[in-house]
Amino acid sequence: MQTRFIGKPMPRKEGREKVTGRARYIDDITMPGMLFGATVRSPVPRGRIKEIRFDPQIPWDEFTIVTAQDVPGSNYVALIVNDQPYLADRLVNHAEEPVLLLAHTDKYLLEEARRAVRLEIEPLPPVFTLDESDEKKEIIWGEDNVFKSFLVEKGNVDDVWAGADFIVEGEYRTGAQEQLYIETNGVIAVANPEEGVTVWGSMQCPYYVHKALIKLFNLPEDKIRVVQTETGGGFGGKEEYPSMIAGHAALLAWKSGKPVKIIYDRAEDMAATTKRHPSRTRHRTAVTRDGRLLGMEIDFVVDGGAYATLSAVVLSRGTIHAAGPYNCPNVRIRSRAVATNVPPHGAFRGFGAPQSIFALERHMNKVARAVGLSPEEFRRRNFIREGETTATSQVIREAVDMQRLVERAFELSDYRDKQERFARENESARVKRGVGFASFMHGAGFTGSGEKYLQSIVGAEATPEGRVRILAANTEIGQGTNTIFAQIAAEALGLDFEQIEVAQPDTANVPNSGPTVASRTTMIVGKLVESAALSLRQTLQNSKLLADSYSPEDFSRACRDYLAKYGQLKSFSQYKQPAEIDWDDEKYRGDAYGAFAWAVYVAEVSVDTLTFEARVEDFVAVQEVGRVINPTMAAGQIEGGVAQGIGYTLFENVVWRGGRMINNQMTNYIIPTTADIPPIRVHFEEMPYEHGPGGAKGIGELPMDGAAPAILNAIENATGLELNQIPLMPEQLMEAFRGEHA
Amino acid sequence: MNRFEWTDAATVHEAISQLNGRAVVKAGGVDLLDRLKEGLEAPQRLVNIRNIRGLDRIEEGKDGLRIGPLVTLARLSEDKLVLERYTALAQAAGRAATPQIRNMATAGGNLLQRPRCWYFRQEEFHCRRKGGERCFALDGENQYHAIFDNQLCAIVHPSALAVPLMAFGARVVLTGSKGAREVELERFFVTPEQDIMRENIIAPDELITEIKVPRLQPATRSFYIKQGEKESFDWPVADVCAVLQTKGNVCLKASIVLGAAAPVPWRASKAEASLAGKVINEQSAREAARLSMEGATPLAQNRYKLAVFEAIVRRAILRQASS
Repeated sequence: MQTRFIGKPMPRKEGREKVTGRARYIDDITMPGMLFGATVRSPVPRGRIKEIRFDPQIPWDEFTIVTAQDVPGSNYVALIVNDQPYLADRLVNHAEEPVLLLAHTDKYLLEEARRAVRLEIEPLPPVFTLDESDEKKEIIWGEDNVFKSFLVEKGNVDDVWAGADFIVEGEYRTGAQEQLYIETNGVIAVANPEEGVTVWGSMQCPYYVHKALIKLFNLPEDKIRVVQTETGGGFGGKEEYPSMIAGHAALLAWKSGKPVKIIYDRAEDMAATTKRHPSRTRHRTAVTRDGRLLGMEIDFVVDGGAYATLSAVVLSRGTIHAAGPYNCPNVRIRSRAVATNVPPHGAFRGFGAPQSIFALERHMNKVARAVGLSPEEFRRRNFIREGETTATSQVIREAVDMQRLVERAFELSDYRDKQERFARENESARVKRGVGFASFMHGAGFTGSGEKYLQSIVGAEATPEGRVRILAANTEIGQGTNTIFAQIAAEALGLDFEQIEVAQPDTANVPNSGPTVASRTTMIVGKLVESAALSLRQTLQNSKLLADSYSPEDFSRACRDYLAKYGQLKSFSQYKQPAEIDWDDEKYRGDAYGAFAWAVYVAEVSVDTLTFEARVEDFVAVQEVGRVINPTMAAGQIEGGVAQGIGYTLFENVVWRGGRMINNQMTNYIIPTTADIPPIRVHFEEMPYEHGPGGAKGIGELPMDGAAPAILNAIENATGLELNQIPLMPEQLMEAFRGEHA
Repeated sequence: MNRFEWTDAATVHEAISQLNGRAVVKAGGVDLLDRLKEGLEAPQRLVNIRNIRGLDRIEEGKDGLRIGPLVTLARLSEDKLVLERYTALAQAAGRAATPQIRNMATAGGNLLQRPRCWYFRQEEFHCRRKGGERCFALDGENQYHAIFDNQLCAIVHPSALAVPLMAFGARVVLTGSKGAREVELERFFVTPEQDIMRENIIAPDELITEIKVPRLQPATRSFYIKQGEKESFDWPVADVCAVLQTKGNVCLKASIVLGAAAPVPWRASKAEASLAGKVINEQSAREAARLSMEGATPLAQNRYKLAVFEAIVRRAILRQASS
C-alpha cells in the first residue's frame, strides 16, 4: 500500500520546542501567590504513629499543615483496591510513607521545617522480602499477605510427569528497578470549594488522577480538572504515582487557598515512588527425549510492596507471558503478588512480563541442555505456530514464524560463527566471549477484557484555521504520541502533516481515551484517532462542504465553512472490541491480547575473568510488530528499551536496608551510560495487523523483555556459569567463578 | 539547599579575605553543588575563585610542571605536554566523570572533593566523619569502601588526580591569611587516625594556589587505569597509577599508588620495592600486584576489590613494558 506518512520518519511534533528549551515543564511554571509543598515521610517500615512533634524553632503559624484529618473526602488513592492512604493515619506500612504535608512560600524555610517535624512511631515487625511474605510468618496485609493470585490451567499438567523423559526444574529471580525518568515527579494544584480542583503536572494518565481526586475531595467529575504538562519520561513511573502527589498538592491548596507546587528532588523521587516489582519464578518442565514440551508448571511471585496499587495487573501480564511463545499442551501457572513493608512497587515498562520472561528464557536453555539440544534447536521444536494455543488457550490467528525471526537474528549477529569461534578462543583467553539469545512475545493493549471495560473515546475537532485537532487523553512522554497520532490522522484524511494538531491532554477538553500504558497508545488509541478523523471527514462530506475528491486546501476550506455555518465540529470514536476476541476473566482463559509482537534478541558479551566485568559487546534486536508507523521513533523505542534492559541486567541494583532504598542517588544507583551500551542493531519484520492503524501493533514495552535473558544466556555461553538472578553484579560473578573453580 | 551570598573574588588575596564565618570556596562548583543539595553543608557565602587570573596555567620550568588549581580536567587531559611526559595524569583527568563535568571541574577541586561514601553523603546518617559515633559502612553497605586502613572510617579518597600526582611525588602550595606553605601531597591528605573529620590539612581560609610536579627522571613512563562500574559518569571502584623508571626492560624505580583503596591515596610500598632492579615481565608484575594487596583488610562486601586491584596493578605495570 502506498502511504504518505505511515512508515515515514516524520519529525517529532514537539521536537523543536524541546530542543530549543521552549517546552514548558511543570517546574517552569509559576503562579501568583504560589506556595511550595513538602512531604513528611515515615522513617520506619511499619508501626503505629504515636505522636507528631513540631520543633519550636520553626514559625509554624506561617505554614499550611495537612494531616489525614484534613482530607475532605476519602483518604485513599482510588485505583484497584482502596487500601493506600494519601496520608497515613494511625499506621504506617512502609518507610517513606507520607504522613504530613507542609506548604510555605519560602522553599528554603520549608525544607528546614520538613526536617523539624519528628514522627514518634512505635515499630511493628516488618516483612521485607517476597519469600518472608510468601511464608506468612507475619501477616501485614489482608488475611494472607496476598494482593492477588491467578491460576492458569491448560490441559492436565499432573498427568505428564510419569511419562516424561526429562523433568527439569529451576528457580529465577529479578530485582527492583527504578524508572529514572529525566524529569522527577511534580505538580501544581489550585483547589477551593467554588472552583473545585485543578492540577497541572508531569504524568502519563490524566484520567487516573481525575478519578483519584474525585474520591479524595468527594466532588463531582466536572469540579476536577487535570492537565498534563510537558513530561520528561515516564516508563510506567508516572502511571499511578501522580495521583498521590497531585492529591497532596491539592490538599495543601485546598487548605491554604493558594496554588501549591510540589516537585520531588531526585533522592525523594527514587526513595519514595514506585519501582519495578522484584520477582521469583519456579519452573518445572516435562519434555520428551526428542525435545518436545509436554508440560510446564510455573510458580510466579512478585513483591508488591506495602499497598496493592497496580500489582494485580502487573501480576496478570507477568502470568500470561510466563509460558512464552511455545506450544505446550499442558500448562499450569500459579502466581501471586504479595505484600512487603517497602514502598509500593508499580508500573514499569514491560509490567511483569520482563520478570517472567527472564525466568522462562533462562529455563528454556536449561531444558535444552538437559535434553542435549542446542538452545535454538530445542526452541525450534516448540515454537508456537498459527492455529496453536498459548498458555491461556488463545488460538494464534496470525502467521507467526518465530523460526524465521531466529534465522534473521542469527544472520544479523553472525551468531553461529561467533559461537564456534568464541568456543575455540575461550580456551586460552582471560576475557571470555559468548553469544546468547531470547525468543519472546509481548501482548499489546490491556489484558483480556480490559479494553472492553475501558471504552476509550477519541475525538477529532476542526479548528478555525482549518486544521484537525486530535482530542485524546494519551500523553506525549517522549515516546512519540503526538507524532504518531498526527501521522495516522494525516494519512487517513489525505492531509499534510502540519494540518494535524494534537490537543494538550486536559480532562476539561479531551475525552477519556484511556491511560498511556500497556503498549496501547498506537495500536488501540491510534486506531480510534483514525476512525475519529474519518468520521469528521464524513460529517464534512455529508454536509456537502467537501467533495469525495479533495485537496488539503479544500479540506481546510470545508472546515472553516463548517465552523462558520454550525459553530463547531467535533467527531468522536469509541473502542469496539473485535468480534473474535473472547476472554474468560473467571478461568483466566482465552484471548489475552488482541495482538502480540514477536521477537528474537541476540546478545554478545565479554567476561573478564580477572576483574569479573561482564560487558555487552553487540546486540541484535529482531521483531515483528505489525506495520512500523515511524521507523526512526520505533528504532529509538527498541534501542531505549534494550539499553534499559541492559541496565536491569548488569547495572541497576536497588540496595535495600530496613525497607528503604539506600542508594537513592544517581551517583550510587548505577545506570549504563552511552559508553556502556553496545551497538544495538534493530530490525523489523513487518506483517500488518488488521485491527491496528496502518497495520501497527504495540511496541513500547517489548524491548524491555529480551535483553536480560539474552545476556545471561550469553554469559553462560562464555563462561559455563549458570546464573539465574539479576541484577548480576561483578561481585556475584566473582563468587560464581570461585565456586566453580574451588 | 539553603540561601547563600555570592562573592566574586578577583585576586587570591581578595578570596582569602572573604573566607571567614560560614564561607566556602567555589571553583568549578561540581562537588560543592552536590553537597549543598544533599544538605551536607549550608554555607552563608560562596566565594567564587573562578575568575582569578593566573590560576589556570600549565607551565613547565626547570624544576618540573606547575599546574594552576583552576586548570580544568578537560584541559589537563588534552594538554600536549602533560600527555607526553606525565601521561598518567592526563589519563586520570580524561577518565574522570563526564565530558561536561570535565569542562567545569578543576584540578584543585578534584583534590578537595569530599568522600562519596553513601552514609557520609546522606544527611540522616550522623557518621564519625560528621562528628557522630559510628561508621555505618563497617557493618552496612561497604562494597565501594576501603580495603586498607578501614577500621575507624572506611571512606575511600575520591580524587582521581591525586593518584597520579602522588605517584609523581607532587606538592601543593596552600595560600592563606598567614601566607603560603608548600607540602608534599603525601602529607596533604590525612588519615582517619590523624583527623576523622577531614581528608586533608587545608585550613578554612586557605586556597590551593599551585600544584607542582617534579621533573621526571629520564626513561620514566607512567600509566593510569581506572576500573568503574560504568564507562563514564562514575568514580572508580579501583584505580591505579604506576610510574616506572627503567633501563632497558629493567625497572630502576617504581612508584605505585592506588585510588579508591583507602581513606587516602594509598602507596603500594611493597609492590614498589619488589619491582626495583627486576626485569618487567608477567612474573614480576604479577608478584608486585600480589604484594600491592598484602595487608588488606576487606570488609564484608568489598573483597572483590582485591581481585580487581591485582588485575589492574599488573596491567598498569605491563602496559609500560609494552609501550
